[in-house]
Amino acid sequence: MPGNTSRTSAAQTGQKWLSRALCASFVLTTLQLIAPADAVAEPGTIQDRFEFSGFGTLGIARSDTNDARFVRDQTQPRGIGKSPNAKLDSLLGLQAYFRATDSLELVAQAISRYGAQDDFRPELSWAFAKYSITPNLTLRGGRMGTEFYMLADSRHVGYSYLTVRPQVDFFGALAFHHVDGADLTGTVALGDGIVKGKVFAGRANEVTPIGSEFFSLRGNPMAGGYLDYQQGNWQWRATFAQMTFKHDLPRPVADLRAALLATGIASAASAAEQIALEDTRSRFYSVGGVYDRGPLQVQAMLSRIRHESASYQDSQSGYVLAGYRLGQVTPFGGYSWTRSKAKEVSSGLPNFVPAFAQINDGLAGSLARVHTDQKTYTLGARWDFRQNMALKSQLDMIRGKPDSIFLYPTSNPGAFDGKLNIFSLALDFVF
Amino acid sequence: MGYLPRLLLLLHIALASGGAQADLVVVTSQKSGIEYLSRQEVVNLYMGRLRTNTAGNTATPLDLAVDTPERVEFYRLLVNKEAADIKAYWSRLVFSGGARPPQSAENIDELIRMISQTPGLVGYLPRKQLDNRLKVIYEFSVSP
Repeated sequence: MPGNTSRTSAAQTGQKWLSRALCASFVLTTLQLIAPADAVAEPGTIQDRFEFSGFGTLGIARSDTNDARFVRDQTQPRGIGKSPNAKLDSLLGLQAYFRATDSLELVAQAISRYGAQDDFRPELSWAFAKYSITPNLTLRGGRMGTEFYMLADSRHVGYSYLTVRPQVDFFGALAFHHVDGADLTGTVALGDGIVKGKVFAGRANEVTPIGSEFFSLRGNPMAGGYLDYQQGNWQWRATFAQMTFKHDLPRPVADLRAALLATGIASAASAAEQIALEDTRSRFYSVGGVYDRGPLQVQAMLSRIRHESASYQDSQSGYVLAGYRLGQVTPFGGYSWTRSKAKEVSSGLPNFVPAFAQINDGLAGSLARVHTDQKTYTLGARWDFRQNMALKSQLDMIRGKPDSIFLYPTSNPGAFDGKLNIFSLALDFVF
Repeated sequence: MGYLPRLLLLLHIALASGGAQADLVVVTSQKSGIEYLSRQEVVNLYMGRLRTNTAGNTATPLDLAVDTPERVEFYRLLVNKEAADIKAYWSRLVFSGGARPPQSAENIDELIRMISQTPGLVGYLPRKQLDNRLKVIYEFSVSP
């Protein structure tokens, strides 16, 4: 089963990346040590060309039910319940930056967060070279963040936004954070505004957990781009991205497909084909707007996801978020929603044959697993109590249909009533 | 008038009156080809959006150290943002692999020295500390 990556090989890959990241940081540190220690910090001195920085979050969250386990995004295998838990939002990121020449920059960034392997294993999230062809045209190559939606490539940097975490209704379905490839970004003035465009292409290099299995996204071609217009207090962006799957889903969907094919019945084989993922595409469309004027900031985004395979449901999501700074404290409020539409897939197998009824149940279950229909009201405050640190508290009131379970890796269908309240506290910092 | 509107009004008065006292000017070297920047061009430059002006000159912004009162004032005047907002803004760009924040001079003397030695470098300082090696390319006081 090509999509079924074992834990062992995933762990080895994780360690390989960790050792690579450590090697890179060792080289950078050594280079910094050989730089003259008494160099005056002026543009051009070697010391000034290196920058080490980092960001992190210490977060704690709990919900008011154990019937559906809340996660931050699809890469987290086990969600949280009624007992307070720090794994959801806590993370640490480190960045090494080197300005090789005026037009060539090198960036490496590693993040330790609760992810696909059910632990806080560090991951090399960025490692790229950025070349400025002109001051307003840049080419990057290597491993970079995926900007499937506006702000998606900074969603781990809690200090950079108002809320404890990016809106889960909107960003929670994204199971990938980086792409190995290249991108080209151009900026031009237009009137008194600025137009910015970006195109990217590359391959995914991540796995996402499904039950106790891994669904591999490795090698999946990704491509996309955006067009952005910024004028005065406004910024608008339209984004398109797509991914082509190269692996099928692991168990239990893999077993279900095998069982459908094993019947030898044409309609069942056709159902197996409809839920196959390999060589199908998913397309992501979004538009977003940000209004930012002094203490006031408002952002709104809409997205639409279209999957060729019936293994995932087409969905629409959106959110509005507003905050107003009063001294050191910024209260904020938001509303988000996500809705998906089930695809009709029938095996054509009669239920009076017990073995067939079992297959039909499996098929119905796998189609129901990916359904979502919910909205969330968010209220909270960010307190910038000291330089480079912010304390946040937030309440999310999720109101969904009982069958809205796609965003929760484990749930008790029947027991879960679609309602979740999440209480969160977070300390965000940068250094 | 309720508590919140009154508080907002007080905040606006405080910010507006703070701006009138500062009299900061944006400067570059006398040897620089840049003659004038619009307010939007200064915003674009210091927020890492665009490094060229309409005349086609490339400019490099220079900041003052984080805790200097001139820097705090500069960003209040320019975009009505507090130091923490500016830090949050740059954190997003830096840690997503985008633009880098301007380099900083330790103090105004160092800023004047660096700008006078490097045409293309742009900085800000109180008008009374202007030096004959520098020219003013943007004034806050005359803008709306």
